[in-house]
Amino acid sequence: MRMTPGLVLVGSVMVFSASTFAVIVVPWLGLREQAPSGIWRELKPEEEAGRRLYASNGCTYCHSQFVRTQDWDLGMERVSQEGDYVAQSPHLLGTSRTGPDLAQEGGEHPDDWHLAHFANPRNTRPQSLMPKFGWLKPEETRQLIAYVQSLGGRQADKRVARQKEWKAKAVAAYRAGADANIRWLHDHVPEPWRAMPNPYPATAGSLARGEKVYQDFCTGCHGPVGDGQGPSEAFMDPPPLNFTTLRRNLVEGKYIGGILYYQIMNGITGTAMPYFKHELESAKIWDVSNFIAVNFIGFDDSNTEPAGIDASYEPMRGERPASGKWSDEGQVDAP
Amino acid sequence: MKLISNEQQSAARAFLVSGMVWMAVGATFGLLGGMALAAPEVFGNVPWLTFGRVRAAHINLVVVGFVPMALLGAGLHFVPALLRTRLYSERMANGAMWVWNAALLLGTITLLLGHSQAREYADYIWPVDALIVLAFVLLLYDLGMTMARRQEPLMYVSVWYFAAAVVVTGSLFPLGNAMWNWNGAMSGVMDAILLWFYGHNVVGLLLTPLAIAAAYYLVPVITKRPLYSHTLSLVGFWTLLGFYTHIGGHHLLQAPIPAWLKVISVIDSVMMMIPVLVVLINLWLTARGRYGELLTDLSGRFIFLGTVNYLVVGIQGPLQSLPSVQRVTHFTNWTVAHAHLAVLGFAGMIGLGALWYTLPRVCGRLLWSEKLANLQFWLVFVGVWAFMLILTAGGVVQGNAWINGETVYRTVPMIAPYMQLRALFGVTILLAAYLGLYNVLMTIYKGKRIER
Repeated sequence: MRMTPGLVLVGSVMVFSASTFAVIVVPWLGLREQAPSGIWRELKPEEEAGRRLYASNGCTYCHSQFVRTQDWDLGMERVSQEGDYVAQSPHLLGTSRTGPDLAQEGGEHPDDWHLAHFANPRNTRPQSLMPKFGWLKPEETRQLIAYVQSLGGRQADKRVARQKEWKAKAVAAYRAGADANIRWLHDHVPEPWRAMPNPYPATAGSLARGEKVYQDFCTGCHGPVGDGQGPSEAFMDPPPLNFTTLRRNLVEGKYIGGILYYQIMNGITGTAMPYFKHELESAKIWDVSNFIAVNFIGFDDSNTEPAGIDASYEPMRGERPASGKWSDEGQVDAP
Repeated sequence: MKLISNEQQSAARAFLVSGMVWMAVGATFGLLGGMALAAPEVFGNVPWLTFGRVRAAHINLVVVGFVPMALLGAGLHFVPALLRTRLYSERMANGAMWVWNAALLLGTITLLLGHSQAREYADYIWPVDALIVLAFVLLLYDLGMTMARRQEPLMYVSVWYFAAAVVVTGSLFPLGNAMWNWNGAMSGVMDAILLWFYGHNVVGLLLTPLAIAAAYYLVPVITKRPLYSHTLSLVGFWTLLGFYTHIGGHHLLQAPIPAWLKVISVIDSVMMMIPVLVVLINLWLTARGRYGELLTDLSGRFIFLGTVNYLVVGIQGPLQSLPSVQRVTHFTNWTVAHAHLAVLGFAGMIGLGALWYTLPRVCGRLLWSEKLANLQFWLVFVGVWAFMLILTAGGVVQGNAWINGETVYRTVPMIAPYMQLRALFGVTILLAAYLGLYNVLMTIYKGKRIER
């Protein structure tokens, strides 16, 4: 084959054109009249403005917007479909997950959580790698939050509506005073959980593991000493719970473990308290409940009745040391 | 000094210097981004230092600035030499150089100010895209006229690759940037398909052929051996064009795009082993028995490492296009490792080798310091392989944690040590870039004149 300028220039453009036809034109013919999916909706002007901010600040380099069948994280209940992206230009599917996928972020958190988070992501997520966006103008922050709250389309709208509905109730409960607020919170925990002690003994090991979880997930709002004075407190309404107030509100004067577990697992929709059921497995939630109970409430019900047959490693029930703490080995200290 | 010089070799020289300048600037932004991922509070509340803006500036500067400009500079020297003629118009090539540099400057400033199309590798806004297309048109015309006026009837393989890179990227650029739309994008998943067609091709049809052109020129010249096989050159050239243009879909294997497009992209990704291996076999057999010459030569060392990295990238790429592998690697730092080895380890390395070979020949002065250039080789070598190993490991950690049920937030502390090490080794690459820039400038202004 004798290569001439004509062959090189025309030939390579021809190969390129043929490929373009195959992998661009043909898909375009099929996708041009794309039907929107069930959750798709048009963006409102404010959300559109927020989307432009999201695009121009490169949010898409760390946050993808498509949920895959294999995913366990935020939005995993709904795998993304072609029709979710109709009319989105430019697309913001993303290629990297330094932060979570945001395809279904809308309504996951109330607006005040986002305010705290954009001011400094470490306010709500102590381990986050996200840059601060405190430099955004207040109006821009509002637009960005509006966009983020729209992610997930109609499904997000339902979640946002649910946040708003419960926010009104949560704020009213908070205004009624500390003890009334706690009663309101406890009343929304299902009955079996309210009379359930923490089944994990509050051993030194459990407390150390719980402390790590507390630092990684909780300090931003509840603060390092559990008084609800973390860095995000200023942004939140209602503010984060001061755990010390739980001491005088134990259920039947003896239970608190199950309530802590339930609230951490499920979150309190409407407040900035997210659910942690995707992020923390059962043992981690029980351990952080023990940490909170022992250190901030000064009372723990771990390893008390009712409980079934003890697991082999557990200390004997009813042999709690007077100090209320178990020894390093997870056994009762010898008298 | 005239801005649009007509002096012989002036355009080649200017492209080389530009490439080196943008390597330094691009590496600076790379390090800023790397630092932000290791210590997110480090830049406080400074909008233009926000990671998302810095990252876009970094990527576009190295992919559109550093690597192609260095390789084009070398090509503007060796292509006329191979055709036994002069460049048709130095003025036109110098014009393209200024337009190109203006585009990169404008593009970087606008990205930092928050004007972005948010399409990875195609982030620059419309006016910047238009300038780059203009530069390609000027270069294409200049190159076409140079080829038309050639005194050498046979066109060597380097010329094919060089010409194809210019003409195909000239066509690809307005298409991939959807320049018929002011916002530079189509919509929906079609936009993602178009973007990854572009994003992969800008590496595969601009950086790769330019680097292969330089390697095909320099390996025979340095080893003083004729090319091993004309037939293999032909196979490598046409298969590169044929397969590379189909594989963009492998970036979207887990996204909702048509299944047949995914199938094509995986098959052709695997087929990419052919153009990669054919070129490497051809180059390495050309140098057989004369590796001493190749490795003791400063440029030869860069080129050889570039080809080795090309082998690794060219085997890794097809493998990671497989759905079973992507289950773990997609969305992770694994991909970042691969991209650095491809752009810096392969095309960038060959670009630097070609630069050190060409620079003395286009400015009539001896290289100011061979020692510094050699130090640069080792710094880039260590830096890019450290990146490769660190980010691949970090990516495997992330990917496996995710498929085992950990959330992204839970994996952030897991990758912290990898992010910190990456930022550390970013310093070696930054150092390599500035040492190179210093060496280039000293050569041009202070290098010993070569007696003719």
